[in-house]
Amino acid sequence: MAPHMGNDEFFSSLTELLSKSSQKSRGSVFLTQKPLIDGVSSGQPSILIRASNGNTDAKRPTDKDGKIAKTKASKASKVKFSTVVAADQLEAFYTRYADVCKAGMTGLKKRDRSKRKAKGKGAAKATKA
Amino acid sequence: MPYLTTSQEYLEQSALLLEAYPDSRITTKYSFPSERPSEKAHRAKSAARKGDATTETSTAPVAALELKTFNAEAGICLKYRTNKAAEVSRLMTGLGKLASGADVASLGVSGTADVEMVDAPAVEEVSKGQPQGQQAQGGKGKKKGGKGKR
Repeated sequence: MAPHMGNDEFFSSLTELLSKSSQKSRGSVFLTQKPLIDGVSSGQPSILIRASNGNTDAKRPTDKDGKIAKTKASKASKVKFSTVVAADQLEAFYTRYADVCKAGMTGLKKRDRSKRKAKGKGAAKATKA
Repeated sequence: MPYLTTSQEYLEQSALLLEAYPDSRITTKYSFPSERPSEKAHRAKSAARKGDATTETSTAPVAALELKTFNAEAGICLKYRTNKAAEVSRLMTGLGKLASGADVASLGVSGTADVEMVDAPAVEEVSKGQPQGQQAQGGKGKKKGGKGKR
């Protein structure tokens, strides 16, 4: 496995990965976090953060002639990277992490303001009457 | 494993799980629904028929965000699923708090007003005198209703 990235590099890779997926409107982005517990040192452990697009590099299935079967899934390549965040940098990291995710996950539903506006108008009328 | 209904509940339950099993793993999955080619073509067609750019954005598939806290040892898996962009920021900062070992109390600030629950018994005592009167009134109301029907 590739060595861990620095935090800055991780964020730029993550931005790219998220925007790619959002633009295409397909695929997934997996983000995992888990503490690195070595069992020796006590106190707050560092956090390992991984990002991946969920594809695999496993050998593509071959048919009986030994040719690579042409499937759509096999075209997409695997993306995987990770970083380690020290315990004392967690707050700063997550503030940025949240911003990057918010900016990158554009495929989600935007807040629907039209309904609330209509409601607000209705309420205003009610109070006037 | 079941999905939790609110993000607050998810974060609180996850905090409890992490407290018991610090080596639990949290996975955040941002994904688009898979589409068969025929569905995709259909969507493109209907968007083209309507014509303008605004409908194109509304017909695009809506992505989903799924959060999962899992511990293999305990066999516990907590899940929460949303498709609202407005929730992303709060969820991610919540995960940050979980990562830095926050307990349930420090998460509970935003939502369910647990603190005010303490005052509830006193209010009940004060209003204990009233319910009898209210019940009597309620009874009268019902009788009236009955007459009206006949």
